Amino acid sequence: MTVWTPTDDGHADLTSHDAFVDGVPHNTFARLRRDDPLHYTEYSAGRSFWSVTRQADILRLNRQADLLSSAQGIRIEDQTEEEYLARRTFQETDPPEHMMTRIKVARAFSKGVVAGFEPQIRDLCNQILDRALDCGSFDATREIARELPMRMLGIIIGVPASDLPWLVDKGDALMANTDPDFTDHVLDRMTTDAYRLMPFNSPAGAELYDYASALMARKAAAGDTDGVLHMLLRPGPDGSVISDTEFRNFFCLLVAAGNDTTRYSIAAGIQALCHQPELLGQMKAGGIWETAPDEIIRWATPALHFRRTATRDFQMHGKTVRAGDKVVYWFASANRDETVFDDPFRVDLARQPNAHLSFGQGGPHICLGMWLARLEVRILFQELARRIAAIEPAGPHRFVRSNFMGGIKTLPVTVKAA
Amino acid sequence: MQVTWILPDGTTRSAEVQPGRTLMEAAVANGIPNVHGECGGSLSCATCHVVVDPEWIDRTGPLGDFEDAMLDATETARAPTSRLSCQIEMSADLDGLRLVVPGG
Ligand code: HEM
Ligand code: FES
Repeated sequence: MTVWTPTDDGHADLTSHDAFVDGVPHNTFARLRRDDPLHYTEYSAGRSFWSVTRQADILRLNRQADLLSSAQGIRIEDQTEEEYLARRTFQETDPPEHMMTRIKVARAFSKGVVAGFEPQIRDLCNQILDRALDCGSFDATREIARELPMRMLGIIIGVPASDLPWLVDKGDALMANTDPDFTDHVLDRMTTDAYRLMPFNSPAGAELYDYASALMARKAAAGDTDGVLHMLLRPGPDGSVISDTEFRNFFCLLVAAGNDTTRYSIAAGIQALCHQPELLGQMKAGGIWETAPDEIIRWATPALHFRRTATRDFQMHGKTVRAGDKVVYWFASANRDETVFDDPFRVDLARQPNAHLSFGQGGPHICLGMWLARLEVRILFQELARRIAAIEPAGPHRFVRSNFMGGIKTLPVTVKAA
Repeated sequence: MQVTWILPDGTTRSAEVQPGRTLMEAAVANGIPNVHGECGGSLSCATCHVVVDPEWIDRTGPLGDFEDAMLDATETARAPTSRLSCQIEMSADLDGLRLVVPGG
């Protein structure tokens, strides 16, 4: 067990996006894990909430969807019933309703089916690297990390490559809706509530809605009806079909959920290569590819938290959580839990077991795209490691301004080709 | 009460399992390879797939609709007696149960 050595007072305001601009405030989480694992976190912009910071506590709670519901919002911000209904996807439902949608797409995202993308992903990785490595010095988030998930999205939902940059910009505006680099409508600085019925409170949601409708019309005209999006439209075992709004929200979810998360996993992995020089050699030697993707994704923890709402009173760590209270699972904290991970602040590509919670493991909403993400990360680093002799930082990196989306948004590097 | 897992390499592992525990929990607690249970038994990951010895299948209880659908999302293709082991609870009836762990 590593002993935590604080580098600041460990009292960051977890509700402030600015507290995350230099990365996750790990001192604060370490203090909370040790001293106050169920912390009542004051929130000036809405109802205060409980912060759960230990890995074992999140695992124990996340599986109890009847006690901790996703059906009243999954981010810290409060939502009215009207906003919730307008914006929700199956991610904001509880079992058994949740399963009705999940089973329609589970096979398409299963490990076995996703494995079929391997040659295509390898090909994409090499195209991306051909271009990036030519530059010698570049922003690795922009030139490498952003490219792969964006192009995979095009393949999965079947959209023309020329639409992808636009789609990804919109996805960024949703996920990073608190960072002025990604949106003109910075959520916590906005005075208008014109977009409150749109996904993520963002005007980009409206544009994605229109795009989804046009896309489906185009596909219908072309007789193309067997993609993932069409699977969603099929009736469930009880004959139920999803509503228009829910369909469009799912489209937004795919554009948003699969992009930034995978991008920032790749970026965090490249940052690790820069700061732990032994990693490149280990990757070149191989033998770590079964475990390396999960370790890189643990290291990254792109989804810093998700939220639930208590349906009944319950006791934990000597405190009483009341029905209706918001409960936030801080995956970013769980993934550095010193009681679970040896040396949690080091990247160990051979780490095994690796009980990280980056994908929301342990509950019904476990990431639908986890096999695809793991595959993309593995192949990207296999190809990168094969093709470079050295990589080093070429300036300071900068993080997204968000307590929800954790990621390095600019990552200047210099590489030497192999 | 005892459960035996037949691993992909042909070797077997047996363990005592308390009644009421799911067979996924028992497998994870005993480090059975290829049974991960990543969604904690929520029927969302299909990483707890096992093939029940046909002689025992009738005693493992009915296959639910959602479980049936999720069995199409397993890594190794389903077999006629495939189950998601998070959906089977240990009971006296199952003492001596044999499960084949799929995969290579
Ligand atoms: C490393 C990359 C990724 C990370 C870290 C990640 C993280 C997560 C997390 C933490 C959740 C659980 C949310 C909750 O508990 O409420 C989740 C759910 C989800 N993810 Fe991912 N994700 C990644 C990649 C992807 C990809 C590539 C896709 C799709 C192409 C995707 C689609 C989804 C969907 C649809 C859900 C909702 C599942 C449900 O509610 O049943 N994700 N993801
Ligand atoms: S543990 Fe996830 S489906 Fe059984």
